[in-house]
Amino acid sequence: MIRRLPSFVRTTAFRLTLLSAALFALSSFLILAFVYAASAGAALQRTDAIIVDEFAAVERRYDESGIDGVNRYILQRTVGGSDFLYLLINPNGRLLSGNLNGMPDVVPDDEGWLDFVYGRAPAGDESEARDSRRARARLVEIGDGYSVFIGVDFEDEDRLIGRMLRAILIASALVIALGIASGVVVSRRFSRRLDAINTVARTVKGGDLSPRAPRNGSGDELDELSSNFNAMLERLEELMHRMRNVGDSIAHDLRSPLTRMRNRMEDALRAGGTRQSRHAALEQALIDSDELLGVFNAILSISRIEAGDRRESFERFDPAPLVSDMGELYEPVCEDSGHSFGMQVEEGLLIRGDRSLFSQAMANMLDNAVKYTPDGGAIQLRLRRSSDGRAEISVTDTGPGIPEADRLRVIQRFVRLEKSRNQPGSGLGLSLVKAIADVHGAELRLEEGAGGVDGHGPGLRIAMIFPADE
Amino acid sequence: MRILIIEDDREAANYIRKGLKECGHVVDHAVDGEEGLAMSRSAEYDILVVDRMLPKLDGLSVIESLRDEGVSSPVLILSALGEVDHRVEGLKAGGDDYLVKPYAFAELLARVEALARRRDPEVVRTKLVVGDLEMDLLARTVVRGGEDILLQPREFRLLEFLMKHSGQVVTRTMLLEKVWDYHFDPQTNVIDVHISRLRSKIDKPFDEALLHTVRGAGYRLQA
Repeated sequence: MIRRLPSFVRTTAFRLTLLSAALFALSSFLILAFVYAASAGAALQRTDAIIVDEFAAVERRYDESGIDGVNRYILQRTVGGSDFLYLLINPNGRLLSGNLNGMPDVVPDDEGWLDFVYGRAPAGDESEARDSRRARARLVEIGDGYSVFIGVDFEDEDRLIGRMLRAILIASALVIALGIASGVVVSRRFSRRLDAINTVARTVKGGDLSPRAPRNGSGDELDELSSNFNAMLERLEELMHRMRNVGDSIAHDLRSPLTRMRNRMEDALRAGGTRQSRHAALEQALIDSDELLGVFNAILSISRIEAGDRRESFERFDPAPLVSDMGELYEPVCEDSGHSFGMQVEEGLLIRGDRSLFSQAMANMLDNAVKYTPDGGAIQLRLRRSSDGRAEISVTDTGPGIPEADRLRVIQRFVRLEKSRNQPGSGLGLSLVKAIADVHGAELRLEEGAGGVDGHGPGLRIAMIFPADE
Repeated sequence: MRILIIEDDREAANYIRKGLKECGHVVDHAVDGEEGLAMSRSAEYDILVVDRMLPKLDGLSVIESLRDEGVSSPVLILSALGEVDHRVEGLKAGGDDYLVKPYAFAELLARVEALARRRDPEVVRTKLVVGDLEMDLLARTVVRGGEDILLQPREFRLLEFLMKHSGQVVTRTMLLEKVWDYHFDPQTNVIDVHISRLRSKIDKPFDEALLHTVRGAGYRLQA
C-alpha cells in the first residue's frame, strides 16, 4: 500500500522546485568535488616539490663535501626539531643519522616515492604516547651506495582536506534539504493561489457567478490567469444577465398579446357569438399570431447576428448602390405618409461587411423614421464620408426624437418608450440595427435631428459609422 | 397538379395537403427522406415540397439525389433556417424556391403555383400580354390600349414579374424577394405602396382594373 502523499507533494510547483534543488545540489557537489580534487592534488604536488628541493640541497652538500657533508647537514637540520624527516643509510642498510627511528615498512615505488605512517609525540608531551601521522617521502641513492631518505609530514594538510571534504558533504546535504524546504514553501504558496482560483471555479460551477479570483497585482502568470479568468466571468455574467433580461422582456412583451389572443379565442368559443363575430375573432387572432411570430423572428435574427456567424462571409463593397436601392424602396412610403424624402449618396466608399445585413439595418432605420414621424415631416437618408474618412449611413427625421436619457435604452432589446407602446412592431427594430452595427464593428449614434422646424419635433438622427477600411 | 410533400411533421403536412387538395391538386405525403426519395422516383410529380430537416435522409440530400438522377420537377424547400446562407445552400442543392417557416398557407400556395408555371415549356418571350396591357421586353416599353405608359426601372421589373405570373397570386414576400432581392420583412407595407403607384399608372386611367388585391395573400394581375 502506498501511503497518500501530502497534497503539496503532488503539485507541479513542488516537483519543479525539487527538481531544481536536485540539479542545484548536484552541480554544487560537482563544483565542490572539483575544488577538493584540485586542492588535494595541489597539496600533494607541493609536498613532492618541497622534497625534490630538499634533495637538491642534500645533493649539493654531497658534491661539495661528500657523505660527511650530508651527514653534517642532516644533523644540523634535525637538531631542535624539523619539518622534514631525514634518514641517511649506508650501503649496509645501517642508519647513520636522521630523526626517524627506522625505515618505514613500506616499499617505495620505482622513483623511490612512498607514503607511510609514523609515530610522533605531540609537541610538549614527553610521555611515551605517540600520534600516528601520515607522511610522504622519497628514498634516493646519492652515491657510493649511500641512500638518503627525505620525508614531509602532511598530517595537518590531510586533516584540512578531510575537514574540507566533510564540509563539502554537509554543504551538499544542506543544499538538498534547503531545496526540499523551499519546494514545500513555494508549492504551498503556489497551490494556495491555485486553490483560490479553483475554489472560485467550483463556486461558479455551482451557479453563483459573483465570486472573483484574487489578484495580487504582481502581473505574474498566476495573476494574469486570475485576470483572464475574471474577465471570462464578467463576460459570462453579462451574457447570463442579458439572457435573463431577454427572458423578462419576452415575458413582458409577449404576455399581453398572447393573453389578448387567448381571450379573444375563448370569447369566440363561448356560446352566443355569431358566426360573423367568430370569424372576426379568428382573423384578429391570425393577425396577433403573425405579429408574435414577427417578434420571435426578430429575436432569432438578433441572436444569430450577435453570434457573429456571418462575419466569415464578410466582403468589401461600395454601399452606394444598396443605399440608392433602399432609398428607392422607401421613397414612395415616405411620400405616401406625407413626408418629404431626401437622399444623399456619396459614391466610392468601401465597407467590409454583409450586404444583406447592411440593407436590413437601413430598412429598420427607415421603418423607425416612418413610424414615428408625424405626417408632413421630412426624412433623409444619407451616405457620406465622415470627417475622419469613415463611411457613415444615417437616417434623420423630424419626429419627436428620443430624450437623451433614453437613447441608450432604446437600442437594448425590447425597450419601447412608454409613449410608443401602442404602436405596432416588435420593438426590436433598433436592437437589430444595434446588433448589425456591433457585428460590423460600427459605431451606432443616436442624436438630435435637424431640429423643430415648422412645429415639428426635435427629430432623431440615427447614424451607423463603419470602421475605416484599411 | 400532382404534388409530393416530404415533411416529417404530420400535422404540418396534413395542413398543406388539405389546403392544396381544396385547390384541386392531387397530393401525396412522405414522412422521411428515404420514403420521399423512393416515392419521387416511382411516380412523376409536378412539384415537390421538401422540408429541409428530415429523418433518415435530409431534404437537401434528397434534392441532390433527384437532380443527379435527372428528375427536374420544381422543388420548394421548407425550412426553419432562414438566413441568406441557408437559402443559398438550398438553391445550390437544386431547390427552386425557399420558404421559411412559419409561413401562411397563401404564401405556400402562391409559390407552388408560381413554380408550376415555370415548368411550362418556356420559349424566350420578348412580349408579355395581359388583356390589353402589353410589355415589350426588348424595347422596354409598356402599352395599354394603345397608350404608352412610362415606368421607372423598378416599376418595370415589378410589372414584368406580375405579368409573367398573370392569373396567379403573388405575395408581398415573393415580390420583395424576386423584384428587390431582399430577404427580410420590412415592418412597413413598402410593397403595398409600390403596387399602388404601379396601379395608378396602369389601371387608374382605364376602365377595367387588371391589378387585383387578394385579401390575406397578395396581388394578382388578371384581365
